[in-house]
Amino acid sequence: MIILTDVNKTYQGAVPLHVLKGINLKIGKGELVSIMGASGSGKSTLLNILGILDNYDSGEYWLDGTLIKNLGENKAAEYRNRMIGFVFQSFNLINYKNAMENVALPLFYQGVSRKKRNRLAMEQLERMGLSDRAHHLPSEMSGGQKQRVAIARAMITDPSIILADEPTGALDSKTSHDVMEIFRRLNVEEGKTIVIVTHDPGVAEQTDRLIRISDGLIVPSIHFSETGVVKEACKSSDITENP
Amino acid sequence: MFDLGREIIQTLGHNKLRTALTGIAVTWGIFMLIVLLSMARGVTNAFDYNMLSRNTAMIRVWGGKTSVPYKGNREGRYIRFEDSDLHAIPEENGEYVEEIRSYISGGGKISTPKGEVSQKYSGVYPSEFVPSRHGDLEEGRFINDRDMEGKGKVMVIPKYYARQLFPPEGEGALGGRVDCNGLSFLVVGVYESRWNKDCYIPFTTARMLSSDRKELGSLSVALKNVENEDDGTAAETGIRETLSLRHNFNIKDDNAIYVSNDFNNALTGKKAMGILDMCVWVLGILTLLTGIVGISNIMFVTVKERTHEIGIRRAIGAKPRKILIQVIAESVSITVMFGYVGIVLGMVATQLITVVLGDNSVLRNPTVSLSIAFEVTLVLVLSGAMAGLFPALKALKVKPVEALRDE
Repeated sequence: MIILTDVNKTYQGAVPLHVLKGINLKIGKGELVSIMGASGSGKSTLLNILGILDNYDSGEYWLDGTLIKNLGENKAAEYRNRMIGFVFQSFNLINYKNAMENVALPLFYQGVSRKKRNRLAMEQLERMGLSDRAHHLPSEMSGGQKQRVAIARAMITDPSIILADEPTGALDSKTSHDVMEIFRRLNVEEGKTIVIVTHDPGVAEQTDRLIRISDGLIVPSIHFSETGVVKEACKSSDITENP
Repeated sequence: MFDLGREIIQTLGHNKLRTALTGIAVTWGIFMLIVLLSMARGVTNAFDYNMLSRNTAMIRVWGGKTSVPYKGNREGRYIRFEDSDLHAIPEENGEYVEEIRSYISGGGKISTPKGEVSQKYSGVYPSEFVPSRHGDLEEGRFINDRDMEGKGKVMVIPKYYARQLFPPEGEGALGGRVDCNGLSFLVVGVYESRWNKDCYIPFTTARMLSSDRKELGSLSVALKNVENEDDGTAAETGIRETLSLRHNFNIKDDNAIYVSNDFNNALTGKKAMGILDMCVWVLGILTLLTGIVGISNIMFVTVKERTHEIGIRRAIGAKPRKILIQVIAESVSITVMFGYVGIVLGMVATQLITVVLGDNSVLRNPTVSLSIAFEVTLVLVLSGAMAGLFPALKALKVKPVEALRDE
């Protein structure tokens, strides 16, 4: 469960930039949501705050009942490692590590033994249909394969939420569809909460709910039916709720 | 720990050429440090060996000419030691003086029908052969009391001259006869010494040959209970006082007698060796510093290049401490790995130097001990940690969100 209450973020500089202007947002456990917005609307900043990669200035952010605020670097790293899985547009795999080593890396930071983390990494790769690519370097894989490795890495610590930043941005439409299928499967079969930032309306349509952000504010969300038709629109006040 | 090791090997292996080129500077630095330390150790060893073989706990005194008037005596008076001095000095300075010796030298040539050497004879008192002072007696005997009492015309010569006087290898030297100052001497002993080439005859015989029948020559005072420079100075002052009272000269008159305080000179020499050792460490470490700066530089480049990777690692849960440890450990690994290559090459080089040059008077056993290898290892680890520290701190400043943008 993700709850943001009146979250503000300003980047200090010669001209201060008020990026998030009081975000109120609630994402329920097991939801598959997308966030869309124009460039500079604040969606990446919002995702970074959700991923505890960046701090916010005021308001509150609750993640699974834990207030995420003013965390030290160590605590933030620990929460990122245990509670959040990241999937990036450019995959962000370490290029000199093979698929299995990349997938196993988050467990290295948990102090899991090499044998165990390799076994768990192989299991994740098998689920992604990549067991035959376990010992291949990222440079030896296609974009779709690399993204599946990245998803396997995001899943290996069994996080409660997966944050994906333009996960299909670098993929063709067929591969995009496959990746979205994986997200859908993880959401339905394993009940993972998945938040996808995208520019692609086609991707947004494959999620349960579209959160639109404009000029640092959430605009009324759109709920999709299974057929992709707009089912309901609600006001931002409807989704504001204190934990 | 093993995991960290694997991570480091993988990271270093990713940039083999750069790692190797960086490491060569460290190898060179450590190689130079080891060779310089070995050379310094060789010089120190040679110094210690020479000092030890010469029994440096000694003060030597020669008579001189007074340069200031004293108690009614005018300046320019010659000071000549007397037989009674040989008893007075040990009696009055019992705390420090173990034994007093004297010798008179004379002549200039020693010859046989088969050869000739330019060497003075040395009339020695007392008639005792001390290996640490004279060398190793190989054949025959040394001067004895009977020779001394009977003013015997006997001589003990070094092997070096035995070969020249009784060529080719000195056979027949023992029991042979040599001519010196128009007298024929019986060779009663042959000794071997690396540095000593004196030809010894009885003190009494030497005095008989001298124009001054009371001549005592120089005095060599063997010391005891001396451990530091203060003891050495106290012993010297005591001897000066005794002689000043007995021969009526101003104790501050440096020309009345000439004193060589071998004990204090040796201590000064040892201090100089210590300074040499320190200078070598400083020089070696400065050479090593070039390598360390190189490593630090390359670690900065590595951190910069790996900003994105650091961002990924941070995003997936690497705590700052882990990043810090990894960067420092990589730096230490490069330093230690290539440093050890330098140590091995340095040791091989010093062994080669030892084989080629051998032990001589200025260089003896120029190799480094285990303790130095340990110290150098410590220097390596500390240097590596220092080289990695600042790049690691820079890596820590990388914010995950900014690092992820850095591609």
